[in-house]
Amino acid sequence: MSEGLLLGLETALSMQNILFVIFGCFVGTFIGMLPGLGPITAIALMIPITYGIDPSSGMILMAGVYYGAIFGGSTSSILINAPGVAGTVATSFDGYPMALKGQAGKALALAAYSSFCGGSIAAVFLLIAAPALASVSLSFQSPDYFALLLLGLTAIAAFSSKGSFLKSIMMTLFGLMLSTVGTDQASGVERFTFGKIDLLDGISFLLIAMSMFALSEALMSIIRKNKDQDTMKQATPEVGSLKLTKEEIKDVIPTIGRSSVLGFFVGVLPGAGATIASFLAYGMERNLASAKEKLNFGKGSLRGLAAPETANNAACSGSFVPLLTLGIPGSGTTAVMLGALMAYGIQPGPRLLIDNPEVFWSVIVSMYVGNVVLLIINLPLIPYIARALTLPKQLLTVLILFFSLIGVYLVSFNTFDIVMMAGFAVIAIGLRLLDFSMSPLILGLILGGMLEQNLRRSLTLFDGSISFMWERPITLTILILTVLVLIMPLRAAFKKDNKQGAQPQVAEL
Amino acid sequence: MTISKDKIGALIFFIFSTCYGYYAFQIPLYPGEEYEVFTSQSMPKLYAILGMGIAALALLLSVIEDLKNSQQPSTAKQAAPVFFDKKGWIQCAALIGLMLYYALTLEFLGFILSTISFLIIGYLILGERKPKTLFFASVPVVIVFWAIMTQLLGIYLSAGDLWS
Repeated sequence: MSEGLLLGLETALSMQNILFVIFGCFVGTFIGMLPGLGPITAIALMIPITYGIDPSSGMILMAGVYYGAIFGGSTSSILINAPGVAGTVATSFDGYPMALKGQAGKALALAAYSSFCGGSIAAVFLLIAAPALASVSLSFQSPDYFALLLLGLTAIAAFSSKGSFLKSIMMTLFGLMLSTVGTDQASGVERFTFGKIDLLDGISFLLIAMSMFALSEALMSIIRKNKDQDTMKQATPEVGSLKLTKEEIKDVIPTIGRSSVLGFFVGVLPGAGATIASFLAYGMERNLASAKEKLNFGKGSLRGLAAPETANNAACSGSFVPLLTLGIPGSGTTAVMLGALMAYGIQPGPRLLIDNPEVFWSVIVSMYVGNVVLLIINLPLIPYIARALTLPKQLLTVLILFFSLIGVYLVSFNTFDIVMMAGFAVIAIGLRLLDFSMSPLILGLILGGMLEQNLRRSLTLFDGSISFMWERPITLTILILTVLVLIMPLRAAFKKDNKQGAQPQVAEL
Repeated sequence: MTISKDKIGALIFFIFSTCYGYYAFQIPLYPGEEYEVFTSQSMPKLYAILGMGIAALALLLSVIEDLKNSQQPSTAKQAAPVFFDKKGWIQCAALIGLMLYYALTLEFLGFILSTISFLIIGYLILGERKPKTLFFASVPVVIVFWAIMTQLLGIYLSAGDLWS
């Protein structure tokens, strides 16, 4: 492990990669701060840039953007009560009241310190857990992978933060259906191409990610009259002092410790992600608080701010565990990263540690570097970055459209892709209006090919029999877990109303 | 019975899955492949069946929910209305049209001209009228982007079929 760690340090601490982390954190913070635009959009916009650089640098850049976007989301939650990403909704519960009291600087500083601690502690967990899990998963065979992929697909639907379980399953299936478009890799038969040469290679995940997230989020911000945008027009509050007293630091240290552990483990669960982690941490902290302290929650409690901030960053690191070790993304954002890795020709999973150790270790080390960058560069710059909230929306929207379109065009040099993007953006707007979540679709699209390959291989290994499902103990255990994950929300769907009320305009994680 | 987002979504997905299923049966097979356990049609057929099943289940649950709510109207929760801007819809449609315009002109007019026009028309659609802003938010952006791509990274960007 120490050899790998040194390799990671050598890669991540090269001047070029440090610059990539700084750039990523900065761009991520900027995009994450804009309500409605989240880390998925930020990362999707970066993908075309990463194609021109080596995989390690590309992943380092994307990891920086991920952290930056989460931090940017916290900033807009605290300053204008408009969470840029779903994972920072809980941050606004106590962060915004603090800003109203004139303590915006203190709230931002605490958010940054908590994020730093949460991310750093979780990076250490990742350092230990990922290689251990990777070595265990080396014994996995095609049937186990098939079961794991099924678990990943159902888990993201079950934990989907944006509404009903059945809708998420439908979106997963939609993604799986899209993954079958193009030439079948095993037989060479054309499927759903309708005679179009442009569809022979299938629909690229980048095209779908850009259309479903960047384009549709930008277009939705025009048609949805949102309170958040009215708030944006108001002057952002004065940031004020960034200092915390010794007593205040002492008060939040246990909270940060607890929330880091909780956040990391929730993040490891496929599909759970930062949103659930932040709400769970907030709830846990409120339950643990004394009766007197409980009254302060929602009115500017330091513990109420530190808990979700720590947990969401820890969960971000946690979500890299299934991605790096099993090749299964823990969240929508890591699903996009998985797609980017696959575009490089790198297959995330247990072999990553053996075949591309520099990618594996540099991502882990860059997480720590990213946290340091956020703390020492972004925090002092917050008063200036916050001015992004006052940028004219009309300029920003058109520029996002341009960068999304040209980003996809620069990969394929095919204008048909731009036409398809316009079409998918229209579909995405329709789906968003019907309250469908986009993350399961991306996951289905990316994992669809792998699912089919592994099922085909498993059937070949077992002479066409599906007995592999119960003959291999690992496969059976994972399949039982999958069934449990499927049944629990379905029972809930039968029992209670799945309707949701109004939701703030937040991006998915 | 009320028409809810859940029902519309489920119905559209049911229709989509049915069409997908129809085309799944049209996927050609090699001679003798029909006797194999797993073919190119297998997964698409499975997805289509699952899609129709899940959509039907979602529709059924919505109807049951409706029936329950009609018996106990007082307990039914009212969803908060979402406001949509009429002008925003027109702008959104115009921007989608603009994307198609960009696809048509990118290789015909060349990257620089088509992108500058794309940005300026986009800003105009969204209500920006100041000539200075229109100029500085488009021409320098495109020139700098073009210079980075072609001169620095060596990526080819179409000069335009019209001029060659």
